This record gives sequence, structure tokens and C-alpha cells, in this order.
Amino acid sequence: MSLSVILIKIIEFMFVAGWIGSAIVLVLTGIEDVGTLLDRKDEKSH
Amino acid sequence: MSSTSNAPPGNNRVRIVVATSVMLTFISYWRAAAVILNDLGSSAFYAGGIAEQAIGKSAPWFVLGVMLFAFAVRAVYVESCSMFVRGGVYRVVKEALGGTLAKFSVSALMFDYILTGPVSGVSAGQYIAGLINDTIAIADAHGWIPSAVHHLFNGTPQVGVNGTAVVFAIAVTLYFWWENIKGIEESSEKALWVMQITTVMVVMLIGWSLFTLLKVGGHLPPFPTLANIHYSDESLGFWKHSKLPHMFGILGLIIGFGHSVLAMSGEESLAQVYRELAHPKLKNLKRTAIVIGIYSFVFTGLVSLLAVMLIPDDVRVKVYSDNLIAGLAMNMVGPEVLRLAFRAFVVVVGFLILSGAVNTAIVGSNGVLNRVSEDGVLADWFRRPHKKYGTTYRIINLIVGLQLFTIIVSWGNIYTLGEAYAFGVVWSFVFKTISMLVLRYRYKGERNWKVPPNLHIFGIEIPIGLASVGMVLLSTAIVNLFTKSVATVSGIIFSVIFFSIFSFSERVNRRKHAHSAAQMKEQFQLQQAESVQRETVGIRTNNVLVPVRDYNTLNHLKWVLDRTDTRAQDVVVMSARISQFGTAAYGLSTEQVFSDYEQTLFTRAVSVAESFGKKISLLVVPARDPWSAIAQTAHNLESSAVVSGVSSKMTTAEQAFNLGSAWEAIPEPKRQFLLQIVQPNGNVDTFRIGPHTPTMKNEDVELLHRLWLNITREPGLENLHHHDILAEALTRLENDYAAAGHADIVRELRRNADGGPMPARLIADQVHTVESEASDRTNGDDKQRDETSSNPKITGPE
Repeated sequence: MSLSVILIKIIEFMFVAGWIGSAIVLVLTGIEDVGTLLDRKDEKSH
Repeated sequence: MSSTSNAPPGNNRVRIVVATSVMLTFISYWRAAAVILNDLGSSAFYAGGIAEQAIGKSAPWFVLGVMLFAFAVRAVYVESCSMFVRGGVYRVVKEALGGTLAKFSVSALMFDYILTGPVSGVSAGQYIAGLINDTIAIADAHGWIPSAVHHLFNGTPQVGVNGTAVVFAIAVTLYFWWENIKGIEESSEKALWVMQITTVMVVMLIGWSLFTLLKVGGHLPPFPTLANIHYSDESLGFWKHSKLPHMFGILGLIIGFGHSVLAMSGEESLAQVYRELAHPKLKNLKRTAIVIGIYSFVFTGLVSLLAVMLIPDDVRVKVYSDNLIAGLAMNMVGPEVLRLAFRAFVVVVGFLILSGAVNTAIVGSNGVLNRVSEDGVLADWFRRPHKKYGTTYRIINLIVGLQLFTIIVSWGNIYTLGEAYAFGVVWSFVFKTISMLVLRYRYKGERNWKVPPNLHIFGIEIPIGLASVGMVLLSTAIVNLFTKSVATVSGIIFSVIFFSIFSFSERVNRRKHAHSAAQMKEQFQLQQAESVQRETVGIRTNNVLVPVRDYNTLNHLKWVLDRTDTRAQDVVVMSARISQFGTAAYGLSTEQVFSDYEQTLFTRAVSVAESFGKKISLLVVPARDPWSAIAQTAHNLESSAVVSGVSSKMTTAEQAFNLGSAWEAIPEPKRQFLLQIVQPNGNVDTFRIGPHTPTMKNEDVELLHRLWLNITREPGLENLHHHDILAEALTRLENDYAAAGHADIVRELRRNADGGPMPARLIADQVHTVESEASDRTNGDDKQRDETSSNPKITGPE
């Protein structure tokens, strides 16, 4: 396996692992976002 | 020194209080979202087309993926803002990785900002040219183009799309260059208005597209697999002749993702508006992030998807790749004239939002360069204010010069511009995210929110969420280096040039500042204060506030000193250091707020005070808006009067209107004060800021007295006061005005207004707090004139 192939494999791993982690970020922040949207007690009119 | 106030014993330097917190008018999260979306939303007009040109028909999936991923990037910005109120790239990278990498990250950000202008201007031009050509083509199809014109153009007359786009982009850039030289007033109101119109267009576009899909059907774009990704010649860059992109499936996804990443440009604005968000800041920032996230996902993501589903393949890339939304409008069901009208609406909206992005690019890069200039990494020469307008015109000239150069070199090729643009976008994100990762371990200060999830192993925190976002960005940025040859070469050249300028300037400035700091220390003693308070400045209530800007026009200060006994009444000379949109997002140190310009300005002011043998207090206030700064400072210092010079840009009545509007924005309780504007000929226009007892005409007083005499004859009303009658009359007027027939009242008031509605009177009608004394007292004259021969006392409000 050439160096460029190894480097590409590393980059691919970073991308895939990063996306899996980012998907968890999206789910967790999404749940929090729903709470933020529902909590309107200190919201002011624009 | 006679003008020294409150200097410590044995110290004869003039003390200057330097407020380090920018005075801002805080905005709601809706307005903040509108400001960001003016930049972020504009990419919907070109991102989908550019992505499809690079990777083929499956591009919308990548655009949707980018918009989804943008939610995670937003979380990084929320965390950075929860640490630093001004959490822009420069501040965060400098804090985490030091000055050298901060300069590199700012260079990448500048590349992003400078390209935002050309890419938006050219895109707007493409939409306009496309509309002109299609309108002519339709007219020709109906036989409305005379045959003579046909012969003249050897067929249907058409304008050159790229040439028209270049001319338009240059014209828009030059327009906003001049507006910024004059000192454009940014307003969230304008941004909100543009977004309201855009929302109307988006709703119509999506509604009509869905209806079309129901009527004629459509197919989803091919899913993003290696077999469905069709690279164009330009989209592989340095890998054009390599087998690598065709060997790895995931690499193909990264290439596609990298070609779509410009769809989330504008995220940096989130950090810049945070400073201006109203309380509760963090919660409102999250709300802003949700609004822009959903909006851009629907607008940019969904529109790109619908375009591929509805526009036939043979015309989508060939005809509409540079104006995809226009293509969508033309390919919906319905009469042609209606589709053409909607397309014209799309072009109008595109013009508004994309032109706004051109301005944002100039304002943003000016802000960033001002910020780094204040930090000593750009020569002071750049920051020298314009003689007439006081703006940093040299920085603006540099930015606009680079933008015009880019527009001409690209010659309206939106694809090349977009590719280069993505370089700045992705690398500034990479710097930011890596810095945030480093700060997880190095930063020990307050942090109100963290990107989830975070694991704790043996007491060590593992920021899984943050690292994940960083890995996606870094892998995309590395692959982009190979696949976007034009962007890589131009981006690296640009960044290296900017980095060299920053480093060279920093070295020169360090030597120069060491010398001038030593000089300044001999003359001034800077006292840093987070906010402006009377106690900090060391003055009494009912003082006179004198805003100064140009050291050549200090006549109003002389006027005040001539008439004020400073033993009885303090005089505060104040300079509002205007921070542009970008700079307000960053932290300010004393040295940043108090530059050599302020030093010259205050040296002159002190010299004027010395010539009168009177004491003055000096104050520098950073602010986004000079009127808010003056109103808030006068409020905080409990000033009884503000004495100003005449503006070169507006009338005295307009000055009073602006100050009155700023005063309105101050929360209750607030005190009123007098605004006196000293003209060069010595005449003074006086206005009261805040509601006050009006000066009544003699006949009005007589009428009131007559009424009082008559009414007190009524049984049981013997003890009635004059003010009871006024209260009753006003209550009745209020009720009548609220009723349907209030037009009669307005008509009657207009008729009674002597000499017709004068400008100042109109202004006073709009903002009731700004009212000229004399307009109440005399007929026709709006302002009280104080001749120089008289010696009016500067008094507090009644």
C-alpha cells in the first residue's frame, strides 16, 4: 500500500468517524433545541 | 496642567477614562438571525448550481448534508461565545494557538470575506442577465421583436451573461464602497425587512414547486454513491489525472462535500452578532442558531433538491447553473407570464440579498482588519480616518480594490469564484474548531455551554462532539487542497501575502508603539473601566457632555468653556470610538480603544481647555453607533446638557432626531437633557431630549385660564386646578385620536401648524421626545437661536 493510499484511508476514517460523532452532536443539540424553543418565558417580541 | 481633573497627587498627567466595553443597542434573536441570514441565505442563489457543476446530479444531497452539518458547526460557535462574548476566529485562535496562527486564520477569513463580495455581486448580475435574456427570448417567440433588431443582432438579441454580471458586480461594489467611505449605518431593521421579503419568496417557491411536483411528478436526484458522482474537469484540481478519486467511495463523498461546503458560508457572523444580542444572551444565541439553521436548511438545501427534481437535465446545468432559482421559477406549472413575473420577483429578492452580502463583505472585512490593526498587526497608516467622514477609508479602499481585482480576473465565472470562496470558508472553520479543542484543556475561565457529548475518563475530559466536527472539517479542508487547485493556489498566495503584511506591520508597530507609548505615558494616564459611570470619571451630576470627533473642529468645546464655570459644573469631553460590526465582536484593550488618533484629539482638547484655564474630564467610549454612545453616556453621567458641533452629514434637526431615537432606546428610568448644537457661525440650536413641559403661547394660557374661570363656577368644582383642565382636555384628545375619526384631528392640527410642516417639525412629530423649545414658543421658527453675543447658561432639564 502506497503512502498516498494510507493517507487517504486516514482522511476517510476521520471523515466517517467525524460524521458519526457529528450525528450524535446533532441529536443531542436537537433535543436541547426543542427545549429552548418551547421555553418562551423570557422571549421578547422583535 | 490646569486641565487635569482628578489626577492623583504628585501626578500631573491628564487622566483619561477609557471605557473598554462597546456601547451597543441590543437586538432580539429574530433580528440577529436576519443579520446572519442576509449573508448565509445568499448562498442559496449559487451554491446548488456550483455543486452540481462540480459533481453532477447528486449534488443536492451534498448540499443538504452540508446544511445538516452546519447545525454541528453552529454548536462550536455557541460554545465559543459562551466563553468569550466576542468569540470571533481571531480572538479564539489567538487565545488557543498564539499570534502566528491567529494571523493565518484571519488571512483565511479575509479571503472568505473578500470573495463574498465578488461571488454575491456576480451572482446577482447573472440572475439579472438571465432574466433580460429570457424575457427577450419569450418576446421574440411571440414575434414582438422587430425584424430590424433581429438582423442587427443576427438573431434574438441577447446580453453577454458574464460581461453583464461583471459590470453589475463592479457597480454594486463601487456603490457600497462609497456608502462605506461615507460611513454606512448598519441596521438590523433593514436586514429584517430583506429577510421578510425573502421569506415570502421562499414560501411561494417551495409551495409552487411542491404543487408542480404533485401535478407533473418528479424524481429524486441519484443518491451520493461513487457511481453517481460525475466529476467535471475542474472539480478534481490537482487530482485531474489521478486514479485516486475513482478508487475510494468515501473519498468521493469528501470531494462532493468539499464542493458544497460554501453553502454554509456566513456562520462566522453568529459570533459577531452575539455581542449585540439581548438578554438572556446564550439562550438567545441558541434560538438564533436554531432559526438560521432551519431557515438555511429549508432555503439552500430544499431549493437545491427541488431544482434538480423540476428543471429538466438538458437546461439545468447548461442554462440555469448560475441562476438555479430562476430556472426553478421558469419550470413550474402555470401561465408563462406568471412564471416570468415570479422569476422577476426572484431576481429582485436576489438583488436585495446578494447586494446586501456585498456590503456585508466590505463591512465585515473592514471590521476584521480594524480589529487586527488595533491589535498592532496592521500599520496605523491603514487606520487613519477620512478627513470628512471619519471612516477607515484606506482599509475600505484596500478591500474594495481586491474585490474589484477579483471580479475582473474571474470575469464573471461564478464557478471559479465559488470554488475559491470555499477555501476561506472551510479553513477559517478548521482554525476555529481546532482552537476550541485546544481551549478545552487550556482555558480555565467561564464556559457556560459545551458541545456534547463529552466523556470523562480518569478525570480527563474527552470532547467527542467537538473533535468529531473538527475531523469532518479538517478532512474536507485537506481534500479541498487537492481538488480545488485555483482555490488552493489563490488562497495560499492571498493568505501568505496577508500574513506577511501582518507580520511586517506588527514588527514596525512594536517599535513605533514602544516609542509613542513612552510619549503618551508622559502626557496621559489611561484608566480602564468596563463601563461609563459618573463615579469612575469623578464628576458631579448636571455636568456638560461635549462629544468630539475631529480635532480641527473644537469650536463647540470653546463655546462651552467660554460659558461654564467649571468650579460649579463639570465639563466632560468624550470621544466615541466607533467600532464596526466586526470589531464589536471582539474584546478591546485600552490600547485598542485609545489610539494615536485619540491621543492627538485629546491633546488638542486639553490645549483648548488650558487656553481657558479651565478643567475638563476626558473619556473614550467604544461604540457601534455614536448616537447611542452619546445618549447612554449622558444618561450614565447624569449630564444636564450635551453640546455638540454641527455634523457634516446632516442637519441639526436630524442630529437631534438621531440622539432622541437613541435616548428612546435607553431603558427606564432615564433622565432628560438639553442638546445644544453650536454652528460654525456661533449660532446655537437647542433641543430638549426627553419629554418635557411645553412652553405655551400666551393665547393658550389665556384660553386655559378662561376655561378654568368658567368651570370653577360650576357647583362642586370650586377647587379645580388649571392642570386638571389640561389633563381632561388631553384625555379627551387621546380618546378622540384613538377613535376611528382621528383623521379630522390630524387635519386640524396640520391646518393649525404655522408655516406648514417644517422638516424639524416632522421629525418631532415622529419622535415626540425631540422637540425644539422655540417651536413651542414661537411661530415658524423651529429652533431657539442663541446668538454669540448672549451668554446663555447651560442648564439642566426643567
